[in-house]
Amino acid sequence: MQITPTLGLLLALSFVISLIALSILIWAIANRQVRTPDQDDARTIFAPGEGAEIDEHDKPHHFDPVRAGIDASSARPVLWLVGAAVFWLIYGSLHGLAASLELHLPDMMTGAAQMTFGRMRTVHLNSVAYGWASQAGLASVFWIIPRIFHTRLRHAGMVKTGIVLWNIGVAAGVAAIASGWTDGLEWLEIPWQIDIILAAGAACFVLPLIQTARARKVHHIYVSGWYFLAGILWFPVLFVIANIPGLHWGIEQATVNWWFAHNVLGLWLTPLGVGTAYYMIPKIIGKPVYSYAVSLVGFWALALFYSQVGIHHLIGGPVPTWLVTLSIVHSVMMFVPVIAVAINQHVTVARNLWAFKESVPLRFISLGALCYTLASFQGSIEALRSVNSITHFTHYTVGHAHLGAYAFVSLVMMGAIYQIVPRATGKQFPFPRMIMWHFWLNVIGFAVYFLSLTIGGVLQGLAMLDATKPFADSVTLLKPYLEGRSLGGGLMTLGHVLLAINLIALAFAKRETTETDNMVAAE
Amino acid sequence: MTDKNKQDPRLPDETFEPYEANRRIPLPVYWIAIALAIWGVVMLVQTSHSTLLADKERAALDKQDVAANAPVGAEPAASGKTVFNANCATCHGEFGTGSVGAVPPLANSDIVKAGGAKLIAQIAMRGIDGPITVNGTTYDGHMPNFASALDDKEIAAAASYVARTFTGAKDGVSAEAVAEIRKASAGQDPWAGGAELAAATPGLPAQPSAPQAAADMVQNADVATLVSQGAGSVWSCASCHGDQGEGTQTVPRLAGLPAAYIAKQLHDFQQGTRENDSMAYVAKALTDAQITALADHYAVMRAPSGARPSLDGDLARGEQIAREGDWSIGVPACFTCHGPSGFGVAPDFPALAAQQPAYVAHQLAMWAGGSRHNSPLGLMAGIGKALNDADRRAVADYLASLPPVPATPKVELTAMRSDAQPAKETTNDQ
Repeated sequence: MQITPTLGLLLALSFVISLIALSILIWAIANRQVRTPDQDDARTIFAPGEGAEIDEHDKPHHFDPVRAGIDASSARPVLWLVGAAVFWLIYGSLHGLAASLELHLPDMMTGAAQMTFGRMRTVHLNSVAYGWASQAGLASVFWIIPRIFHTRLRHAGMVKTGIVLWNIGVAAGVAAIASGWTDGLEWLEIPWQIDIILAAGAACFVLPLIQTARARKVHHIYVSGWYFLAGILWFPVLFVIANIPGLHWGIEQATVNWWFAHNVLGLWLTPLGVGTAYYMIPKIIGKPVYSYAVSLVGFWALALFYSQVGIHHLIGGPVPTWLVTLSIVHSVMMFVPVIAVAINQHVTVARNLWAFKESVPLRFISLGALCYTLASFQGSIEALRSVNSITHFTHYTVGHAHLGAYAFVSLVMMGAIYQIVPRATGKQFPFPRMIMWHFWLNVIGFAVYFLSLTIGGVLQGLAMLDATKPFADSVTLLKPYLEGRSLGGGLMTLGHVLLAINLIALAFAKRETTETDNMVAAE
Repeated sequence: MTDKNKQDPRLPDETFEPYEANRRIPLPVYWIAIALAIWGVVMLVQTSHSTLLADKERAALDKQDVAANAPVGAEPAASGKTVFNANCATCHGEFGTGSVGAVPPLANSDIVKAGGAKLIAQIAMRGIDGPITVNGTTYDGHMPNFASALDDKEIAAAASYVARTFTGAKDGVSAEAVAEIRKASAGQDPWAGGAELAAATPGLPAQPSAPQAAADMVQNADVATLVSQGAGSVWSCASCHGDQGEGTQTVPRLAGLPAAYIAKQLHDFQQGTRENDSMAYVAKALTDAQITALADHYAVMRAPSGARPSLDGDLARGEQIAREGDWSIGVPACFTCHGPSGFGVAPDFPALAAQQPAYVAHQLAMWAGGSRHNSPLGLMAGIGKALNDADRRAVADYLASLPPVPATPKVELTAMRSDAQPAKETTNDQ
């Protein structure tokens, strides 16, 4: 398709319109056109200094979700989601580990087609993306939304139906992939017939959330609420459009494919992760996030710029240059929302480092938030043509993907699970030391994983660009780095097993009597 | 853990609700946002500019192609001279004097005088494979055909230039006439020496009779099977190198390469001194006799060029490297060793003309990187390292634009063979 000047102009306009919208927003904030919330309340909070004392219930910014019966309405669906998510986490990790081993031990599992790398990796991706990250994120959403809206969760039964449908969909999808039945596009492998089940499950999640949001008893929606509500509306649109069979062909299909694949990360998993961190960080520390104005910029810049980002996967492909350049520009513009989120979250943590020591869930969550900043900066830079020509088609990209999906989203979700589950069940985790082990296994494992793939990926890219080296050189040089990746992946998987053990032990433990005490999961 | 005293007193109570403080956006956020927005706009404007430029260039190229294919009448001599110097002068000399005992002269040639530009065009279109007598001297004629290397207009220009400049003829030949000749020559073997030319063109001087090529070498049944069907676990040569040995992409053209060179490469693959997993597997399954027979098979093969410049190389730069070398980077001309027009010099130097460009560029890169290291005296390693990526593509594309090598005639090969070793050894002993 030759891109006409008119079409190019329209595409460029989408960037310009986004820019104008962002400028208007910033202007409005700067000139106090947007009413910032509870300005008087904020003043009364900060005047005395260190905030309020415990057990004083009529002061602003305090609300008891237990007394209001809110947690009771959402605890069941949330626990179901956590259980299912952790199952898929273990299942997906084992497949990821197997796929990683197969790269440097190619003769290990050659017996059956189900065990080959192509299927192992795909099963890994789909089970961790749709089984683990999505459901863990939804657990946070269903826990946090009623709490910040001061109202109980509506249609909890429908949510449970959704959970059942969703897990049937993921299981069927994963089984289909393992048996060789796929739609053949990365991130869209689950056959569209099975996608119908997933779409029905998603609908059962969306409606209760909308009902709960409409019945909210607060005027101001806290920033986590924006991210969650936006994500829960964006994802079904993305999922349905990208999965409708026979709608797109050829280059168009590749474009839609990557538009979807990147938006699953940026407009679904990212809002879940950022929204959870936005709630959990101040909640655990007991201090507000840095600035309402900054969080507005962060959210709207994400909403305006992210949707065009995915086409940078097709740099060098037969896609109109315009489209790719537009995508690169949007990718780099992502610096704006990421910096905004970074200011809001990291400043709050940095001023309260004592809490980092005090709460292990906070450690997971704020480290995850830090990795969001890193992954996003890395992604923006990776989208530049000069960098992409080296890193494209190498393991560097895999390292980047895991920095985002694992070190950011997964760590935040694990922290959220450690924070939520004791409050939803009224029970403490039986093995608090195991949580520490989990944390350090994940941190060390991921560091080994990420450094191996990043260094190996760059060397691989340089070797592939060097015409004087045979292609096989770019493969053989990777071996030690792939082994490092398996080691790191093994440590991470071990950490997940500890999480599962703790959860199972908690499920069988007896409820303690002092339930709503001031409890932090570890220590 | 349930003991409250062990917890940090700063931990909030469970009823604390997260909220956003009321602060201004820090100034650096504005600066970064503005800087990125400006960068984005500049980037988009730049791309739109280069896209428009590329579109214009493409349109201009399309127009050029249309112009090049348009029919033209008799050609101006200047253009014919360019084509002649680039393609014919490498053997026949800039002044058409030929080379004593090897290449017949064109200047004052009795054959050119008798046949005119039309005959030259006919010869250029099919090539010659057989003895030819010019001005009373008999030459062992091997001329490549230029059908694949030159278009009608270029052949017409060069043929007219030769007839007019070297024999003072008044008439040239038109591109339309050359197009007719091209149609008539399609699928034809090279002219079997002067005898066949004389039969087709009245008025030529007496010509020696063509040798009986067919009887000279018995077609080896074993080789035919190897080439077309493979044997045992070994796949056929033709499955990659093509049924005419013309090669494709990084698979080389074999037709017309010196027999000794082909045999040496197969032995090198066998012993691992030349690396290629596919060829090592194949070569290890071959006996020495089979290798010799295969080498002979391809050495005498005549095939039209299947190669076209396809690597975006700078043809002028490629021509410079091939014909003159570039002493500023210490690279000698390809043709000093690989023969005029890159036709190869048996037994050690393979033909380069009409070789697949991707293969040539890849091999040059492999020499440079040391993955190919089987050249005598490490000569090619030095050259490969001196050439950069653009040069490698340039020279490969230029070589691909040349006409294919005239194959070693069967008669000659048989003679060489019987000198070197008993002919019997070439038959199969599997």
